[in-house]
Amino acid sequence: MAASSASKLFRAGRSLLGGLNKNPTYPSELARTSNEFTCMDIFSQQQRTFIQMRTNLKVVDNSGAKRVMCIQALKGKKGARLGDTIVASVKEAQPGGKVKKGQVVYGVVVRAAMQRGRCDGSEVKFDDNAVVLVNKQGEPIGTRVFGPVPHELRKKKHVKILSLAQHIA
Amino acid sequence: MRLEKCWFCSSTIYPGHGIQFVRNDAKIFRFCRSKCHKNFKMKRNPRKVKWTKAYRRLHGKDMTQDSTFEFERKRNRPERYDRNLTEDTLKAIKTIDKVRVKREAKHHKLRIQGKKAMEHREAAKELAQSIHMVKAPAALQQDASLTLPKMKVKVSQEKSQENRMEE
Repeated sequence: MAASSASKLFRAGRSLLGGLNKNPTYPSELARTSNEFTCMDIFSQQQRTFIQMRTNLKVVDNSGAKRVMCIQALKGKKGARLGDTIVASVKEAQPGGKVKKGQVVYGVVVRAAMQRGRCDGSEVKFDDNAVVLVNKQGEPIGTRVFGPVPHELRKKKHVKILSLAQHIA
Repeated sequence: MRLEKCWFCSSTIYPGHGIQFVRNDAKIFRFCRSKCHKNFKMKRNPRKVKWTKAYRRLHGKDMTQDSTFEFERKRNRPERYDRNLTEDTLKAIKTIDKVRVKREAKHHKLRIQGKKAMEHREAAKELAQSIHMVKAPAALQQDASLTLPKMKVKVSQEKSQENRMEE
């Protein structure tokens, strides 16, 4: 008699435990799947960010520099965006150009892969990060500008770059 | 102000909506919402995605050729402002829209018609071909070979006390 009642209790306890075990499995599984999804999203498309210290930028004018590295954004805590001015160091330069390798130059970001809001609330983004070298007064060093540039440069008083540009987006 | 079309789904983009991507060759891709932008980033072809206008046009699901589409075309020639002309245009927009909606409804109706008739025909054909497989319920009752014979199955016994303990 005692044995049978004990066995009943045991069974009841096991069923309870089973119930407990069963329930928490669902949330954990859900959490895992959601994590996987976010990871996939990040891997499929890199999150584009500000132009900050050590960002490499393409130089799209004929000043002689080919690649510069950002060493300071002149405005903004997080870094520079489309249309902002940066201080950069020349990393690659063509021989016989106006600027030499290792020189510290100013530049205007004319293309940025990170999207930037427009005045009407829509957004614009570009293929790459590109810069046009300017002097301290904001006049371009080169005499040509390659590729598309945004019309927001007019607001930033870089009309010279806009007039030199091939395409205005 | 200009109402653009989404590159992916061909819907209208009103000012202040969506995102535009400028490729290095200065081609501009405009997207009405992040859904279309994401699909573009995944390199999907709008002609192969079923919910886009391109797919629906390609597969004859929507009206493609109609005189009402001519009004809504991009023109690169600027129009000289004329108050009377603007007023007439605003009036015409409503009428044209009504006509277009009506024609679209007719187009869809015509498409459905053919499909329904075809389904009917196929169903009738199948019925004619396999009528011999269908038996009336009365016939099933009379002929014992058509139904499964009734069988008696033993109910399993309860387990003994010892077995329970071992569990």
